[in-house]
Amino acid sequence: MRLEEKLYTLRYKKDEESHLSINDVDKCIECEKENGNPMPCISICPANVYSWEDNKIVIGYENCVECGACRIACPYENIHWEYPKFGKGIALRYG
Amino acid sequence: MLNYDIVVVGAGPAGSAAALKAASAGKKVLVIERGPEPGSKNVSGAMIRKDFVSSVFGDSVPFERKVDTLKLSLYDKESPVNIDFHPNQLVTTGRLKLDKWMSSVAENAGAMVISKTTGLNLTWDGDKAKTLITDRGEVSAKSFILAEGVNALLSMKSGIRGDLNTENSVQTVKEVYSVKKEDINSIFGFPDESTGMSWRFVMTDPLVAGFLYTYKDSVSVGIGSPINQLVERKIRPEKLLDDFLDKTGLSAKLKGYSLREYSAKVIPEGGFPNMNVSKGNVYICGDALGLVDPLTFDGISPAIASGTLAGTAALEGFTPDIYKYEMMKNTEISKIAKERKLESEFMSGNKAGEYINMISTLLKNWASGDLSGIRGTMIENYKNIIPDMLSFVINMR
Repeated sequence: MRLEEKLYTLRYKKDEESHLSINDVDKCIECEKENGNPMPCISICPANVYSWEDNKIVIGYENCVECGACRIACPYENIHWEYPKFGKGIALRYG
Repeated sequence: MLNYDIVVVGAGPAGSAAALKAASAGKKVLVIERGPEPGSKNVSGAMIRKDFVSSVFGDSVPFERKVDTLKLSLYDKESPVNIDFHPNQLVTTGRLKLDKWMSSVAENAGAMVISKTTGLNLTWDGDKAKTLITDRGEVSAKSFILAEGVNALLSMKSGIRGDLNTENSVQTVKEVYSVKKEDINSIFGFPDESTGMSWRFVMTDPLVAGFLYTYKDSVSVGIGSPINQLVERKIRPEKLLDDFLDKTGLSAKLKGYSLREYSAKVIPEGGFPNMNVSKGNVYICGDALGLVDPLTFDGISPAIASGTLAGTAALEGFTPDIYKYEMMKNTEISKIAKERKLESEFMSGNKAGEYINMISTLLKNWASGDLSGIRGTMIENYKNIIPDMLSFVINMR
């Protein structure tokens, strides 16, 4: 089963603004040179939130399962990671 | 501005235990929960010790099946070695039901629980926290309890603790499949729908801890693996889970059943006692303190134990030293502190592989009646592994 299909199983309420952001986009370019693609944030994310397109990180925060691993894995502590506000984001049934 | 005696952040097992303790003492308690309802953001196996949960929250613990068999499968390079235990008092449970129930017990004791509310920042006057700013406004309190889970953003922003790193954290992914009761019984050989099992797998190179839990009419499977290992080898966690299901034959067992939920969670493998546990009138508990038992994977019992202590700390105005001292005296919490050394050995290098190979070789020698093999294995491991195991056993007392 494709990851996209797995993510469809989640109940989800979209937040208008992203709860994830990059502090310094230049660090991502440095990281790509150092680690190659996929960089740590891309490979550790179980929900395909991150992708590398045109020399920058693109964040699909709507996919986020709120595990926090990207923030921990980033070698430059370059991911600003907040919780979605107002009860938005995922809502698990089994947990 | 709303005023409370105690504000608790997070309505998981730790937060609800803290709120229950404080509200039962007659204090005005507010619990804020970022999810649409308690439990909706929380991930675990989940297997609990029913008697322990009851001892704090009372009877009528919602559960799925009794864990009649706890099976452990150790994979060395060849085939797995299986060990079966028959534990008492372990049950499987769904987090949404369990956490909602715990929260309702705290509510019945007088705590006020507000969901869909995220804590954003604490405001401080010197060493004392004054208010909590949330996405819905600001509340003031005499003390604050941070039961905010593994991504302990408030504890980190307040400078009480630092973030986890790739060496002391495990990434887990989990899938829940919908499987009819009768089918679960026939697949796993259960006599009835109240009987269930918990199955643990350990594989090495890469180090993977896998699990399977049977619920009433669903089955959960998942894997955990150290983040540094996944990052270094560029292994995607969902791919590791797929490979695990194939290697163990579980994908064949679950073939044709529909996936109901996919989730992920970071498990802390570090924290207490090697971190601050409080600052002024702010007390941390549960996953935010890294309180997951690395040997049993149980995070719910230590969450409840530490939450209850955080409630007491807020009531009594404990200093950080007293709060930490009380935690070290608690058996649920202190055993995690004692396991930290073994845990970090497991997380680094290939100690886990050495242990597993030794155990499976010993058992295979024994099964084939190869007594000289047993002797050989013991001698071979005499210098490096056996002293480690002995010192671990001694420290565990």
